[in-house]
Amino acid sequence: MPPVAQQIADWFGTVLRGPLAGLRGADPVLGLALMVLAALVVASVLNRRLRLPRLLGYLLVGALASPALLDVLERTDLDPWKPLIDLAVAALVFELGTRLRPRWLLDNPWLAASSVLEAAAAAGAVGFALMMLGAPAASAAAAAALAAATSPVITMAAFLEARPRGQVAERLLMLSAINSVLAVLAIKLWPVLAQGVSAADSLALLASAGAVIFGSVLVGLAAGMLLDRLALLHEDLATMPVLQLALVILAALLAIAWGLSPFMTLLVAGMTARSRMRHRLTVEPYLGSAGAALTVMLFVSFGVLSTITDLFNLLPWVLAIIVARLLGKGLAIFATARPSGLSWRQAGALTLALQPMSSLSVLLVADSFGWRTQLPGADGNVIQALLVATTLMQLTGPLWTLLPLKYVVREADETQN
Amino acid sequence: MALEAFTPSQPLTLGVELELQLVDTHDFDLTPRAEDLLRELAGHSGAWDVKPEITRSMIEIGTSIQRSFVPLRDELHDLRTQMSRAARKLNIAISGGGTHAYQHWSAQRIFPTERFHYISELYGYLAKQFTVFGQHVHVGVPNGDEALWLLHALSRYVPHFIALAASSPYVQGEDTGFQSARLNSVFAFPLSGRAPFVLTWEGFGQFFDKMTSTGVVQSMKDFYWDIRPKPEFGTIELRVCDTPLQVDKAAALACYLQSLCRHLREERPFEPAEDDYLVYTFNRFQACRFGLDGEIVDPKTKQRSKLRDDIIRTLARIEPHALDLQALDACNLIRESLTEGNDAAWLRALRRPQVPMPAVVEAAAARWMRS
Repeated sequence: MPPVAQQIADWFGTVLRGPLAGLRGADPVLGLALMVLAALVVASVLNRRLRLPRLLGYLLVGALASPALLDVLERTDLDPWKPLIDLAVAALVFELGTRLRPRWLLDNPWLAASSVLEAAAAAGAVGFALMMLGAPAASAAAAAALAAATSPVITMAAFLEARPRGQVAERLLMLSAINSVLAVLAIKLWPVLAQGVSAADSLALLASAGAVIFGSVLVGLAAGMLLDRLALLHEDLATMPVLQLALVILAALLAIAWGLSPFMTLLVAGMTARSRMRHRLTVEPYLGSAGAALTVMLFVSFGVLSTITDLFNLLPWVLAIIVARLLGKGLAIFATARPSGLSWRQAGALTLALQPMSSLSVLLVADSFGWRTQLPGADGNVIQALLVATTLMQLTGPLWTLLPLKYVVREADETQN
Repeated sequence: MALEAFTPSQPLTLGVELELQLVDTHDFDLTPRAEDLLRELAGHSGAWDVKPEITRSMIEIGTSIQRSFVPLRDELHDLRTQMSRAARKLNIAISGGGTHAYQHWSAQRIFPTERFHYISELYGYLAKQFTVFGQHVHVGVPNGDEALWLLHALSRYVPHFIALAASSPYVQGEDTGFQSARLNSVFAFPLSGRAPFVLTWEGFGQFFDKMTSTGVVQSMKDFYWDIRPKPEFGTIELRVCDTPLQVDKAAALACYLQSLCRHLREERPFEPAEDDYLVYTFNRFQACRFGLDGEIVDPKTKQRSKLRDDIIRTLARIEPHALDLQALDACNLIRESLTEGNDAAWLRALRRPQVPMPAVVEAAAARWMRS
């Protein structure tokens, strides 16, 4: 680490960390609860004074408390909260599913092409850039696969915060869902490339990936249909969020228990519920106030999971990931903009809004918040560079999403957050 | 600014304008996508025209000059097909209907043009409340004097068009009890209602000069009358119809008006008089409130009759003219709608206790787009 950076880090250590040392010994459950309270206050101040998104406030408080800065909470402190945090993610993913209209991809084949191309171009650009900088091919491929995804959680939460209406906002939801699904599949297939498995094993892995897709879709369909049937028995609108939360938990647990993709399962469940129930399906933002509270906790946790370890040593790789991803997504979006019905300005806004990165594809299949366990054999430096890039693009995620929607295409009310 | 000269046009030619709703395919509320749709339709292959309206959730289309029912209907079909394709590509839906059932006026955004901003500044919230959707029909006339004669002669029939086209029972999520609640929004404008009773273009020019000298109006566009002359097109423009839920109905209404105009021009069954307007507002209210079941008073005979019966009698009188104008199919469509009910009745029939309002808007959009 350069001397100036080291001095800053030391200053943090002596001036700020010292007085907070007592907090580190506190009960982690109490610790996170306090963090959530602090996040609400900070988010409110940022929102009123600087008109910054509330989500940014939650993330910043989490990041300040993380081991990377004030070290109030350890990452392992989040493990007791993981079921609740997963539930917050699951609620947002289900809600995202209810907003998607797959028929749009048939009505606009260029949109379908655009969604696959932008994911592929981002992955290709990141993989190529990392290999040019000397990263091992297999590890670069893993990073590329993860970098293809836009954080559907940040996208959906930002959407709920600003309520944008327009072409860019709708494409953002659709594209972030599709590129995340593609990232999940790519990670499932990654061992084929990484471990040089035999032809027979490759076939087995392909079959396993197929089973994950098929199984996830099946469980998602069943959950959506079950919600439809149960909703017919409970016409009281007040019970709808409870039913939805229960179904979301059930579907997510089944998916995890059977080794499926909870992300795909919940996305399909949301789409199925919307398709079958049509206007009978009323989805409260965050599936109601309980979901909203969990979402604050989720974003604080995202902040706590921040890592900038080795930022300076890995800076070229980190920058390569961020810049290559931006260029890859931008190239594909601009190439398909006009035939798919976007103006150049909208294409620019969509490119920027797609930048928040996602740890979701890994997190939802993990037992804990450790990434490395999900990618055995991957080069440690590449994964760390990816984690740092994800941290940066996650912490700034609400700005990437909301600023273009508000100020470039004016799809969200500038006075609102 | 002096009134422009009346451009002569071929009598009884037709042009139809429709203001349409752009709705979101998720919640079926109005969605501000006019610019996207206009860009997508910029290269359309028809002779028709498409342009923005005052708020960004509206769009207006205009047909080319037409002479009879079938070509007019065919052009509207082509327009609907191309617009629907573009809308699906953009994940939006297009709907007819005089009002959106539950949009909130304050959520609407003014389309960014100089005139719309001027209207917005002048009328304040009324401009956003003007997010209502009408059908305007232009009928060609050879000169200004005849335009004004026909305009006032038609005033007796204005309730016919209101009742036949009525498709706006819901406003801001509530059933208003009206068949055409849209016209209540139009009445809020200070220059709405009926044109002054002047029968010569020269006399109308004097009225226009007086109005412009007050600074209240700048051009003919500032008059929101039920029927107004359009000197630059050489037409009179009937503006009381809600946008129907189907384009066939829009074409039929236009050709019913065309046949009626021919009947009035050629047979001169009565001479318009200032006193015709004594019952005008009452009749118009009856049509807006009760639709085809409303009761109107004949301004000449002072007889009361059901609107439905009056339309049946009028259809019988204009039949020879409809035959000559190849508009019999249009008149048959109008006749059928007298028994089937207007679009307001169709929308109300959808709204049962378990059916939420977005489902009603979705059904209306599907009816317009034929999906």
